[in-house]
Amino acid sequence: MMIDRKFLVGIIVFGSLWGFAECILGSVLRDVNLPAGAIMTGVFAVGLMTLSRTTFARPGMQTGIGLIAGGLRLFNPFGGCFICSAIAIMAEGLLFDLIWTGFSLDKKTTQTLTNQVSLGITSAYLVYVGGYIITQILTPVFSSAGFYLENLIVFIPQILASGLLAALLGVITIPAVFASRKLHFTIQDRLYYPISIGISAFCWVFVIANTLIILGL
Amino acid sequence: MGKDRLLPILALILLFIASSSSVYVYATQTTMETLEINNQEYTIDQVFSIVRPRTSNDSQYTGIALDDLMIKTGVTSPETHTYTLRGVDGYEKTVTWENMQNGLLTKNRESIFSDLPKAFRIKDIVTIEVK
Repeated sequence: MMIDRKFLVGIIVFGSLWGFAECILGSVLRDVNLPAGAIMTGVFAVGLMTLSRTTFARPGMQTGIGLIAGGLRLFNPFGGCFICSAIAIMAEGLLFDLIWTGFSLDKKTTQTLTNQVSLGITSAYLVYVGGYIITQILTPVFSSAGFYLENLIVFIPQILASGLLAALLGVITIPAVFASRKLHFTIQDRLYYPISIGISAFCWVFVIANTLIILGL
Repeated sequence: MGKDRLLPILALILLFIASSSSVYVYATQTTMETLEINNQEYTIDQVFSIVRPRTSNDSQYTGIALDDLMIKTGVTSPETHTYTLRGVDGYEKTVTWENMQNGLLTKNRESIFSDLPKAFRIKDIVTIEVK
């Protein structure tokens, strides 16, 4: 089987950028008591995944991006529940992939502004709420306390409400990504690998170094 | 109906769900100064005066021992029960007696468990239900 190196490097660089944003910017947003989860999903997660999807137009990529970003989040044990965040990020990548594949959005569906705005609301809201619910199930499952369905059910209204901000941010994010595509910004083939690998390495080194500094090692 | 027409309808439905949930959450918001433990009401000062203190493993948090709190508030055979801690916003988590033995309640009514992820940190706890 031939492995598409450009595709794999794309997964790594987009995943690293998302993970970096979650670890560094997400922590800052939490420190100043802003709704970091909704902002990170509505802007960075949906933005980077839309950019990657419209660039490569291949299903499966966002699941990989989520795995890389969630993996990087595990190296930054600060700013809220990092296990929950990592699970949510991985789930968000998978959900985005499923939504875009389910709606066949790699075709002509996204050309009008109405559809781009609708897609922003749908993607951001379902990705955020879905990720939130999945992490509320999986985090207790992997802990010694266990999962209790009633704990989730009573909190469903709050989860559904908290997705509103992500949905509203998605209204801006996805049309902005589609607008940026019209600039036809491309990277030359000979520069693609060095730039991508350099950006990815910077994200990982920065997050790990930041963790070690905070831990005082 | 084509998917391009379905998308705006779905977006409107999701916005309606999110907005109505926000209204519901806002309308049902409560504030409570007391702590209900096993169907009995206490003030935070009361429980802090009767329960032994505990510090988290990393010495970052201090408060009172959750297992001692259950015993002092009259829970019998505590190891046979599970405990549901509920915050003022409705967020709740159920934990075992072993978890309670590693848990503490801060003066700000937040639960800290050294053996559980941060998802089990419940803020502004208003109820501890014994099941």
